[in-house]
Amino acid sequence: MSGRSLTLRQPWTRTGLTAWTGIAASVAAVALLVAPGRGPELTGAFLLTCVPVGAAVMCWVDSGEGVVQAGLTLVLSLAATAIVTASMIWLTVWQPRALYAFAAVGVVSCAARLVRGGRPCCALPQ
Amino acid sequence: MRRPAGARGASVLRVAPVRRVLALQLGLPGLLLAALGGWAFGVSQTQRQAIGPYGLLANADAWLLVGLALLLAGMLAELSRPQPRTWLLGAYLVGLIVAIHTTVPLLYGGTPEYAWVYKHVGVAQEFGQYQRVTDTSNIYQEWPALFTTVAAISSLGHAGPLSFAAWGPVAFELADALLLLGIFRLLTGDRRLPFLAVLLYEGLIAWVGQDYLSPQAFGYLLWLGIMAIVVRWLIVPVPAHARWGLVNRARAFLLAQRPAPPAASTAMRWVALALVAVLYFAIVAAHQLSPYIVLPGVLGLVLLGVVWRGWLVLGLLVVIALGYLVPRYGLISSQFGGIFSGGDVFENASGSQGILHRAAEARTGDVVHVLAALMWLGMVAAIALRWRSLGRVAIPGALALSPFLVLGVQSYGGEAIYRVFLFSAPWCALLIAELIAELRGALRPLVSAVACTVALVAGLQGLWGPTAVYAFTPAELTASLWLYNHAAPGSVLVLAADNFPGLEAADYAAYDTEVIPADPQLGQDWLDEADVLGVEQWISSLGHGGAYVVFSQSMANYTDYFGYPFGYAQLAKAVSANPAWHVVYRNPDVVIYRVTVG
Repeated sequence: MSGRSLTLRQPWTRTGLTAWTGIAASVAAVALLVAPGRGPELTGAFLLTCVPVGAAVMCWVDSGEGVVQAGLTLVLSLAATAIVTASMIWLTVWQPRALYAFAAVGVVSCAARLVRGGRPCCALPQ
Repeated sequence: MRRPAGARGASVLRVAPVRRVLALQLGLPGLLLAALGGWAFGVSQTQRQAIGPYGLLANADAWLLVGLALLLAGMLAELSRPQPRTWLLGAYLVGLIVAIHTTVPLLYGGTPEYAWVYKHVGVAQEFGQYQRVTDTSNIYQEWPALFTTVAAISSLGHAGPLSFAAWGPVAFELADALLLLGIFRLLTGDRRLPFLAVLLYEGLIAWVGQDYLSPQAFGYLLWLGIMAIVVRWLIVPVPAHARWGLVNRARAFLLAQRPAPPAASTAMRWVALALVAVLYFAIVAAHQLSPYIVLPGVLGLVLLGVVWRGWLVLGLLVVIALGYLVPRYGLISSQFGGIFSGGDVFENASGSQGILHRAAEARTGDVVHVLAALMWLGMVAAIALRWRSLGRVAIPGALALSPFLVLGVQSYGGEAIYRVFLFSAPWCALLIAELIAELRGALRPLVSAVACTVALVAGLQGLWGPTAVYAFTPAELTASLWLYNHAAPGSVLVLAADNFPGLEAADYAAYDTEVIPADPQLGQDWLDEADVLGVEQWISSLGHGGAYVVFSQSMANYTDYFGYPFGYAQLAKAVSANPAWHVVYRNPDVVIYRVTVG
């Protein structure tokens, strides 16, 4: 069985699960943001800033611990949001809707990870 | 067919363990639900008007306390099982954090606690409205990363920051706990110990109050992310070889019997270094002090020789920090006298200056001071008891002690000691938990229960002791918003005591907000508020011909709690019958006067 099909059929590896979570969160965030109502929009905004970018990175990197994987997904997403939004203010190009790009980054990176399969990035040789 | 008597006996014997197993399997999950139900019922029955100067713990409905006690007892019981269920431990931990940090927002109708949170809300609103830095002398705007994040979420979600700011503490604490669990697992390779350590931590730090919506809470969370990356990928199994023999011998002594760190490839270490740089830059752009309290921890590990390319890692962080600071140093220098506030460690560690402790506030202060002392004593004991195998405690020990270096250079307006406590607490909690885990027999669950109960009760008293002062009612927030909607820009807004939700509007800078100088805690107490004429003359001296003057329930509570400002009650009573003071707004908790002078 190839590494590719292994990852797609067995998402219960940490990186595979991170990738599926990243795709689900990215899609859900956009869906909630375009849905009517303040509750869904706010939930979508939090989802967009807390998951996709971190998942886009962590789906390639196995920390060896599920909680570390989840925690780093969160903090990397928040850090990316902080840096990007602060840059918008410094450059006087305030466009919060540009953060929709996070969802695209999340989907593309996580899907690439699932399609490519194999071992995580930079893993030690077995 | 008749069964032999022996077989019946065997059946009876089998039934008893099955019942015991079922009781354990289902009893503790059931207890969790009962505890959460008890807590929720207790919250619904607690009257916020009944909360006195000794705080929520002393005035809460009994069911609230029962719920908290059951949450703690259930988690400790699960921890004492031979094979604890991590999902159940996680559920108990989440339940406890939610109970601790949502009780006050639930009691106060989702209104954010602490007056200074509203200033953070105002800066975020300002970025959302003006979409640029409008005042380069405003320190919040020069370190904007958290505020721009909040502004972006607010803009995308079409909801002002006030609608979610109250839930900042529970969100930050849950996120912190997630990362701490991961870091502790990486350091110990254990499943049970990290839960005990995080449980202790939640009690120990509850009182510090650094988890509200603020740049420092954001920076702390990102720092935990950095620590997770360092512990997972940047710790090396063999310490770096130093040029000096003395250093090598010291490292060999300090790292004796150190457990093997997780393995990592060189390529992954470079990736980890890049991720650390990204997280650190976000911290640097969010908060003025946090970057410099991160550095001693990294320095401590580098000196131990356990960080891969340690001096490169440290140098990179220093370059990022200074690269951001240097262009803004003039602002720091003019407003705070530079990043070094003197090398007097005792002065820097003495906490907030000018606060005169009275009655209830003094008791609550005593409780948390004892808790802090116990935490650091426990940490010292944990290190001292392993003096033959210091490597087992070298990393958490270095991280627990390194924040004290900050006291050598900075007081941070009296807050430095609290930041030292906060950054030291995770590692102290881990060291104490490891010490407890080594106890044998019935002593281990007993000491676990005592330590966690003491930490939680003392921490909650510190957190909930001043609730009546620092929490605001929806009516007070409504009054504050009315003020910004009705007072003309340029108006003077006078607070009779420095405890009111203010500055939360996007154009807060268009108003001149002043506090009557009668509070020694603000460093200015030359006026007695009982002297109405003196107050009017002071308002006249502000040069606007008049002002809006605010009195509120939280101001009265603040005065009761601290004993200041002088003459608050007399002023509130006197102006209510003074024809020169016109009531322009009134609700059950707030009265706003318009006074014209000179």
